[in-house]
Order: sequence, then structure tokens, then C-alpha cells
Amino acid sequence: MDLYKKLSGKWDQLMVRGFRSFHPFVLLVYYVFVITSLMLYQHPFFLLTAVFLLIGFNYLLDKGEQLKKWGWMIVIMCTFILILTPLFNRRGNHIEFYLFNNPIMLEAMIQGVVIALTLIGIIMIFVTFNMVITADKFLFLFSKWLPKWALLTMLAMRFVPLLKRRLQDIEQVQQSKGMSIKHGSIRQRARNGMLLMQILLTFSLEEAIQTADSMAARGYGLQKRSKYQAYAMQKRDTFALSFISVATVIIIFGWWLGDGVLMLLPILEPLWLYGREWFYFTIWLLLIGFPIWAEGKEVMKWKFYQQKV
Amino acid sequence: MEILSAKGVNFTYADASESVLNEINFTIYKGDFVVFCGPSGSGKSTLLRLIKKEIAPYGDKQGTFFYQKKSIEEHDPLYIAKEIGMVFQDPENQIVMDNVMDELLFGMENVGFSTTEMRKKVAEMVHFFGLNHLVNKKTSELSGGEKQLINLASILLLNPKLILLDEPTAQLDPIASKEFIHFLQRINDEFGITIIIVEHRLEELFAVSNRVMMLDNGKITVDTEPRHAVGKLHHNMRNFLPTTALVYLDFNPDICLDEIPITVKESRQWLLNQKISGKQLEPTRLAKGNPLVELKEIDYQYTKHTPPVLQNLSFTVNHGEWMAIVGANGTGKSTLLKIIGNILKPQHGYIKLNGKKVKQLDPTIIGYLPQNPKVYFLQDSLIKEYRQIVQKQPKKEKDIDYLLEKFQIQHLKNRHPYDLSGGELQKAALIGILLTNPSLLLIDEPTKGMDPDFKDEFGELITDLVEEGLTVIMVTHDIEFAAKHTTKCSMLFQGNITVTENTREFFLENAYYTTAISRITRDSHVPSAVTLEEAKKTWQNQSGS
Repeated sequence: MDLYKKLSGKWDQLMVRGFRSFHPFVLLVYYVFVITSLMLYQHPFFLLTAVFLLIGFNYLLDKGEQLKKWGWMIVIMCTFILILTPLFNRRGNHIEFYLFNNPIMLEAMIQGVVIALTLIGIIMIFVTFNMVITADKFLFLFSKWLPKWALLTMLAMRFVPLLKRRLQDIEQVQQSKGMSIKHGSIRQRARNGMLLMQILLTFSLEEAIQTADSMAARGYGLQKRSKYQAYAMQKRDTFALSFISVATVIIIFGWWLGDGVLMLLPILEPLWLYGREWFYFTIWLLLIGFPIWAEGKEVMKWKFYQQKV
Repeated sequence: MEILSAKGVNFTYADASESVLNEINFTIYKGDFVVFCGPSGSGKSTLLRLIKKEIAPYGDKQGTFFYQKKSIEEHDPLYIAKEIGMVFQDPENQIVMDNVMDELLFGMENVGFSTTEMRKKVAEMVHFFGLNHLVNKKTSELSGGEKQLINLASILLLNPKLILLDEPTAQLDPIASKEFIHFLQRINDEFGITIIIVEHRLEELFAVSNRVMMLDNGKITVDTEPRHAVGKLHHNMRNFLPTTALVYLDFNPDICLDEIPITVKESRQWLLNQKISGKQLEPTRLAKGNPLVELKEIDYQYTKHTPPVLQNLSFTVNHGEWMAIVGANGTGKSTLLKIIGNILKPQHGYIKLNGKKVKQLDPTIIGYLPQNPKVYFLQDSLIKEYRQIVQKQPKKEKDIDYLLEKFQIQHLKNRHPYDLSGGELQKAALIGILLTNPSLLLIDEPTKGMDPDFKDEFGELITDLVEEGLTVIMVTHDIEFAAKHTTKCSMLFQGNITVTENTREFFLENAYYTTAISRITRDSHVPSAVTLEEAKKTWQNQSGS
């Protein structure tokens, strides 16, 4: 377990076959579909299961490290929603109690729970999105449709650490000359700061000429560029894509029939699932739990492998 | 077989009246390793850039370059981009991408390779160069030497037949530059790729090249094999030659061009047959001086989670010394300099200047000359910059003229700092620093990219200043430069000063990290020497003819 902890930062590189190893396009489709589903299915039972599945997904990815950073934010937001929704929403048939002479409806309370669960689910899935679709995968997807912009983004990305370092160099040397942005009157400091930026700009433009030369020397701009496909669609990607798509189609169909939505008005539906809803619930489990299955399979494999050795 | 030739090439820059290149004619054959040398401003880089059409400077060009017997203009530009590769001086600025893999792919994507081709080529290149540990890194995390290797690799991926290199090792430390030249030798030996390299640092290059061309004032003055070139350059371009050859030229009674030694090994063998006598100088002990700077128990780390750069470092520099701090890359030399200059604050320990603890940075006591003097200038001409520095003391106007005169850059005072050459820029920034009359000068790697003549001149300038009472602490990789000019040397290793000695004794005792002539004379029957000047003073050759 200690090793797992040490490596959890670099887990991405170790996972050859986990969820993250799918083609970025498959991953993107998964996220679009799951977020859509979360917004369509307004049923506390469905949403609560989804939240548990997503917690599991987060745990498998990084032991929930990233999710913990959002913990307080989620708690505070939920409290507000849970308190405020029943206060403002007074439509319904079941009066639970009166608060300052205002009726508090059961329907409104359920509505609050549904909204809170939807938000939690969406936040959680976005936390995993950042870990799964890393910058280079995002750029890869992006460059499919806008290759020029993608190249420009990549060039710009290189300049961020470069400019940062240069500014630091300039600042230090100018400081040794007695020009500082840390001492003196605000006006003086602002003036010095502007001067530093000016030097950074002229200096960087001057250096960029060399970068342009080096690009030209390697044949940039002579013809349309080809693109290195870092990710290739494999059989398993196609399978995954079909599975995700079929599951989503079924789920949308269920929504259209009204099965995944808890009816509040005019009559409150029972909370517990019945009939056809169980079928959609199974599909729901399979779709949202897909990464857990893909990722968990690998974790199990390693556990057994270590035991055998 | 001929690969590249020039027929009557003349070139004048668009805004200049005098031509840079005059009647250049040469023919280079497949598999040649050609070294172009010559003083700064002799037109070497211009010549190289003219061959590569995409980056040719603007101006009036006459004459033609022929690539594989066909004028370069008539070739398909895409073909030329693939066939002729170019590596530039600055390792950093040539890199385009954020991570190494993308950088390697960049050129191949430009010329339209398919993904499978690219994957295969990158794989074989990474294996050949042993770059496996770098492929997944960010380019900003690499050292200068690694960056330059990536630049070379990304060009080799296009399968060039000819590679042009414009001072590729000028910004590298000696170990990295040796490694780089070793790679060049390999691709020349093992694949027959033709190489044309422009360089000032020739110690290693003479041994690996098969042709040396000297460019002086836009004309090719020498074009022959390395040993003969050494003989021909002996009189007017002494500083460009390797010390190994200079010992021979200075002490062998009659010179035979084919016998000139160009490696330490050859030089040692020649020395075996010489009867050289002389007095061995007595080693001098470190004298107790009057301390100017004292560092006590300095610890420094950049962030909490990175390993410490300096650990419990204590160190003293006396008045009137020129101290060189040597050591490999990443041992914290520049950091140490910044700490002495009060630019960085150590986490532990203190610095005393003249016996008093330093609290705040004072530019009238300490002057700091950075590695890249470009960042020193704020104004758009030298003279404006100097006027700004002395604005509060009108008396000092005279000093500006005096220093400009002394440093011989009077004629450049109205220029924009970025239009100066590397060496001129060092001088110009130095004047700015001296205007505040500091008693301590900190210099970071001043000899990077300077030509040998300029280096000597710079060394003498600093020596003068030291004699006038300035104390200098210099960080450098340039062992030969340190041995020739400084008074004391310290070696930094793993965040601590391991040894401080008088320069001569320091290099005499070192077996590996020392000057070429010390390596030649070490354990031999002749009196050991650290610099050629010392040998000249003490040796007499009696094997005369």
C-alpha cells in the first residue's frame, strides 16, 4: 500500500489498461453522455447511486485526493440548497410542518435533494475529468477540429515557463542595480514594474526571432503539416464507444418515457423503484459505473498478482 | 563526391556599405567535417545562413551555392529543408514546443511524415542518442547540453545529408560541449553525414575535423587539413589554436606541419623526446589576507520541497583578489553568487562585508554582472543607460567617457544594447556597473560565446581593475581562462566549497579538472606548468637542432 501511495502521483503512467488508457475521443463521449444523463434523471434514488459510484471512481483514480479539496465547497452548497429550496418552493400536496407560518412541502424537500445531488454529481465528474482528460489529451482532441489553434496553443504553452523565468532574471538583475518593485512609493514601484515588463517584452521579441529561424529551418510553413496521432482507436475503444452509446440511448429513451424522473406534481410518485424502472436502473449502474469496472479490474489484477508472487 | 560548393559568393547587408563576404569559393565533399573559424564579425554566421535559404539575411548577394551540383535556388524548398539541417547557438531559443516528444515531432510534421513513419523514426533516434530518460520531460526542465542534443536530434529525424552548426557549444559548459562534439563525430563517422561547424572553441574540434577553413574579413584565408591549418594560423591567430599544438609550436626547434600534435596524447608523446629543463616554481601557500566578504554557514534551497542547493557553506574572499568559483552544472555556483550579491536571501547563516553584517542590497558596494547582460539594460542606447545611472551625480559624466575609452567601445555608445555582440555587451554592462564604484564585482560566466582574442582582452581588463583595488568573484566553467587570469580558485561540490587555493596550486594538484598544459606536463620529466605563459617563462629546450 505504501508503494501505491508513492506512485499515486504517477499512476497515470503505470495504468496501461485502466479507464484512462481509452482513446481520448471515447473518454470525451463518456463525459458528455454521463453529464447529460445526470441532468436528465431527476430521481433521488438514481442520483444517489450515481454519487456513490462517482465517489468510488474518484477513490480509484487518486484515493480521493482531488475530491477532498472540494469537500467543504460541496457541503456548504448542499446545505444552502437543502434549506433554501423548501423555503421558496411552496408547490405540493404534502405539508410536513409550518415554519414562521409558512408551509414546508415534502415535494419541495425532495426537489432540494434532487438539485443538490445533481450538482454534487456534476462536480464529482468534473473532478475526474481533470485527471482523466489531461492537457495533452485535450489538445489532441482540440487539434482534430482546429489544428492551427492547437499549434498556437502549444507554442504559447512553451512561453509560460520561459517568460516567468526571464522576468525573474530581469527582476533580480535590476534589483542588483537598485531598481526594485518591492521598495519605494507606489508610484515609483508601478513605474519600475512597467519598465521591467517593457524589457521583458523587447527581450522576448528579440529572442523569438531565433525561434522563428529555427522553425523555418525545419521546414515550417512550406506545406500543410501532418499530425502525429499519439492515440490510435483500437478494438477495445470501439467496443467501449458502442457500449457507452447504446447505454445512453436506452437511458434517454427511459427519460422520454418518464421512468427516470420522480414525478412530484400533480401526484407524488412513490420514491422506491418499481417495474420498468429497475431495468433503467441497471443500465444506469452500468454506464456510470463503467470507469469503476475498467479501473477496478486493473487494481484487482495487481492485488492478485502481488499475492501470487 | 561533391555535396556543397560556393562559386564567387559576395554579400552585403541591406543597410551596410561594406561587404561582409568577398569572393567566397569552396567545395565540400560528402562526409567532410569542416570547421569554420575566425574572429567575431568575420562573416562566418552570415555565410552559414546564406546556405540555408529560408533564414538567409536580407541584403545584396552575388554568386551561387550549389547543392549536389545544382543551384540551391533551383531545388525544391521542401527537399532542401530536409536535406540541410541547421543547429543554432542558443539552445533555449531554438526549442519550439513545451515537451520533448512534441519538439522531436515538430520538424517531421512540417514536412508531412505519416504517424507510423514518425513513430518509427523517433524510436530509433531515441535509442541511438540514448534519450529515453528525456522523452517524457518538459523542455524547460532540460539542461543546456540536453537541449542542444534535442535540437540536433530533431534535425537528424529529417534525414539530412548536410548539417550546419552555428557555434552550437558556445553556451554549453565544457563537459556538455565535449559530449555534443562527440555526438557530431559519431554521426559523421557512422553515417557519413557532412558537417559544417562554425565555432570559437576549437580545442576538441581540431581533433575530430578533417578540414579547417579560416574566414577573416570576409575572405577564406586558410582551407586545409587541421595540422597544416595550425601551422598556417600560428602567427596571426594564435589564440584560436589548441594549447596542445601551441606547446609544440613554441618549443620545438623546427616545425614540421605533419607532426603538430593536436590532442593531449600526441602532445605528451612529443614531449617525451624533448630535453626541456627549467626551474620548478615553488608552490605558494594561501596568504592570510584582509577579508572583504565572509559567508558563514549558509544554507539555501529554492522551495521547501526541493533539495538544498547550498549546505552549511562558509567562505571568505579577501581584498584585492580575483576569485574564481568552478564546478559542474547545477552545483549552485550562480546561486552562491546571487547570495553574495544579496539578491537571494539564505535560509540560514549570514554574510559579512568589511566585518559588518549585510542587511540590504547596496549597488554602490556590490556590482553584479549577470550571465546574460541583455537583461541589464533598460534604455535603448548605451549612453542613455549610463546617464541614467549617474543622474544624481553630474560629476561622474567624465567617468563615462573615461570608461568608454578604457574599454574601447567609444564608437558603440549610441547603439542599442541588443545590437552588440556577446563580448561587447559584457563590456558595456561592466561599464554600467563600474559607474557606481563598487568595491566588489560579481561576474557570472563572462566568457560564454566570446572569441579567444576577446576573452584575453576581457581578462586583462578585469586584471587591471583588480590591480586598481577591485575585488572580483567570478563563476566560470572556463578552466583555461581561470588559470590564466585569476588569483585564487575554489571548487564547489554538492552545495559546499570543497577546496580553495591559489590558482596555480589549485590546477597543479588537480588531475582531471585542470588545464590542457597541466595534463600534458603532469607526471612527465619536464617541470609542470599550468599555463603556457608559465611554461614560456620557466622552460628552456635543449634538444635544439
